[in-house]
Amino acid sequence: MNHVAKGILTGLALGVLSMPVLARDITIDLVGEPSSLDPQVQWNPDSYYVYRNIFDNLVTRDNDGNIVPQIAVSWEQTSDTELTLTLRDDVSFHDGVDLSAEDVVFSVKRITDPDFASPQLGQFNQIIGAEVIDDVTVKLTTDGPYPALLAQLVKLSIVPKHVVEAVGKEAFNTAPVGSGPYKFDEWKRGVSVTLSRNEDYWGEAGPFDNAIYRAVPDAATRVADLQAGSADLVVSINSDATLQLQGVDGVQVLSAPTERVAYLGMNLDKPPFNDPDMRKAASLAIDVEGITQGLLGAGEIPMAQLASPAHFGYAEGIEPFVYDPEAAKKLTAAKADLAATPVTFATAPVFDQRVVQALQQMLNDVGFNVSISVTDMPTYLNIVRSEPADNAELSFGRWSCACQDADGITYPLLHSDSAWSRVNEPELDVLLDSARVSLDEDVRMEAYGKVHQINRENVYVLPLYQAAVLYGASSSLSFVPTANESMFLNRMSWSD
Amino acid sequence: MLRFLLHRGGQALVAAFGVVTLVFFIQRLAGDPTALLLPETATQADIDAMRASLGLDRALWVQYLDFLGDVLRLDLGQSFIQNAPVLDIILSRVPQTLQLAAGALLVALAIGMPLGLLMALTRGRLVSRWIMGVVLACQSMPTFWSGIMMILVFGVWLKWLPPSGTGTLSHLVMPSIALGLLSLATYARIVRSAVIDELGKDYVRSARARGVGTGRLVKHHLLRNSLIPVISITALELSQLLAGAVIVETVFAWPGLGLLTVQSIASRDFLVVQAVVLIGAFVTIGANLAADILYSVVDPRVRLTESS
Repeated sequence: MNHVAKGILTGLALGVLSMPVLARDITIDLVGEPSSLDPQVQWNPDSYYVYRNIFDNLVTRDNDGNIVPQIAVSWEQTSDTELTLTLRDDVSFHDGVDLSAEDVVFSVKRITDPDFASPQLGQFNQIIGAEVIDDVTVKLTTDGPYPALLAQLVKLSIVPKHVVEAVGKEAFNTAPVGSGPYKFDEWKRGVSVTLSRNEDYWGEAGPFDNAIYRAVPDAATRVADLQAGSADLVVSINSDATLQLQGVDGVQVLSAPTERVAYLGMNLDKPPFNDPDMRKAASLAIDVEGITQGLLGAGEIPMAQLASPAHFGYAEGIEPFVYDPEAAKKLTAAKADLAATPVTFATAPVFDQRVVQALQQMLNDVGFNVSISVTDMPTYLNIVRSEPADNAELSFGRWSCACQDADGITYPLLHSDSAWSRVNEPELDVLLDSARVSLDEDVRMEAYGKVHQINRENVYVLPLYQAAVLYGASSSLSFVPTANESMFLNRMSWSD
Repeated sequence: MLRFLLHRGGQALVAAFGVVTLVFFIQRLAGDPTALLLPETATQADIDAMRASLGLDRALWVQYLDFLGDVLRLDLGQSFIQNAPVLDIILSRVPQTLQLAAGALLVALAIGMPLGLLMALTRGRLVSRWIMGVVLACQSMPTFWSGIMMILVFGVWLKWLPPSGTGTLSHLVMPSIALGLLSLATYARIVRSAVIDELGKDYVRSARARGVGTGRLVKHHLLRNSLIPVISITALELSQLLAGAVIVETVFAWPGLGLLTVQSIASRDFLVVQAVVLIGAFVTIGANLAADILYSVVDPRVRLTESS
């Protein structure tokens, strides 16, 4: 008997010792539930935080922002308008079917089909052709030389042709099948989405058995969940929460600058900002550091150009704007009547009203006459895109092109062809056009350097800061937030 | 009785029609939703195509008649954002809101009514004033504050209850209390004044003279007669609960209609928002109709005065 008992005990002990590290799940509090899990439909953060783990993309960005292989192992610009990509041959979807060049071509054609009406169409509609060359090679054709193509392909998720065609758009959205490190498990509408690790993943699958994403709209509740330990990672907290979490055991706050650039738009066809001196006065009046450090405090970085270090086309050495309210007052005093022209400052509730009010105060302090006009988002969009005569004198905006390329900000805001732009400067148009179609990185860098310099000197649009995001996380979690607000489970690690 | 029912039913129909019309025109006043549905880089051609696909390019009265027809057929459209029928999205959230509303009503009735009774019976004494103070405090606390405080105390600090979310009965406790506090105060005050009214009446005095004890008096006479205002208030409270649920569900991440509303506004899913507003209005109209009918069943005097 004794032997038997010993045997059982030894067996148990061996079992315990040889057991893998305890099963570990991660619970992530998002603001809302994903709008869709079909990666080719919606692309708001609450959706892509989740589906980027279910699907692989053609290429991806590493934590430093460099474009690196994912499904495509290598690529070559075979002509000005053709990009040939070589694919991995060892990738299979969660249903066991191999991922092929057919699926890649299908994915490109699906998202670029105008009838499919993807909200992401604008990011991919310069791709006019996709064809299978052989099992592991595809060729993409663009409607002209398109230097930002790879930056856009970072977001092109590969969906399985056989599944999408079999189940249709609606059913695929509720039960997505991808090839990524995590498999879709369950979507409790309004409550949570659960993913489980794909044990057959071709790469590193990550430390978690399951990932549970919950919709917790109130920031204070997300922070409380983190403190109580019912969430391991929470998104979208503000600097007040940082203070609350300071000194709390087992919790850390992570911050990263994003690729969103905040700016003050000025109407160059209406007084007072049709006068270069008044624009100069506005730039001198605004204490950007006061806003980024005193008001926001999430790690925002003052910018003097319509780009950030997270963008291709960010120019080193653009001189920061000087904060000098006395000099601004001198400029406005010299043309006091012009400066006192009533100015409407268009904004919408989605923007941080503290920043808008601070800007108004700073401008009025040096002699401008600014009043804020908050409207709903559709009205705001109509105002800022209307003809100069109907347009507000000032507008606040935070621009993201989700492509980390200066073209995505400077072209819409500075080119005379764009509905968003108030600028009509032939020299800028030439530079922006050449940078948009050149495949030579040096040519592009030089053009953007000049663009930023011209905008800095003339203050057509006043750049303010590079926005930042804050995450709250358990101290046991190691997670590197990135500028494109990715949240890849397989790049995280956990240590108890 | 039949005339009374027809009369009240007709009124409810007119109200429902008014709400549908109002919702339609307010939504058109709020501007063109296509600007929100398309990315910032969309061209005018994209915008026109989207307007055509949503039917927004047709004459206003055609859109209005179409909308009336859709509502009658309970066809609330397809959510552009969530890629699912709006009715399905809403129905999936109804059970949670019903649970929460039931929990809140339970808290409000089970605590509010006895408190009201106690206040009436101890009228003029210090204890009554103390209870009144507590009741007023319950009513004055904004839910977004009391909710967060409860989460911090019971969820984070004491760890008695889960701070947010859904799944078990313990998840329901804090949201129910947070939502129920508002109605609790209303019930306490209504029951108090109703019981005080009854206490001054002749039948109470004669019952007391015959030696009926307070316990028996309350149980057999006072409560029943004080019930009528409670019923009609419950109908009104139901719409209050739906409104309060927007905040409570947001604070506690409770996945009901209120949270759906907030999320749909945030994601600019205007068809869902419109449907929630319609359904909220219909529920309120229906509850008031039900209260009127129930009222006349409990108290025949209501029915008689109405039809004369």
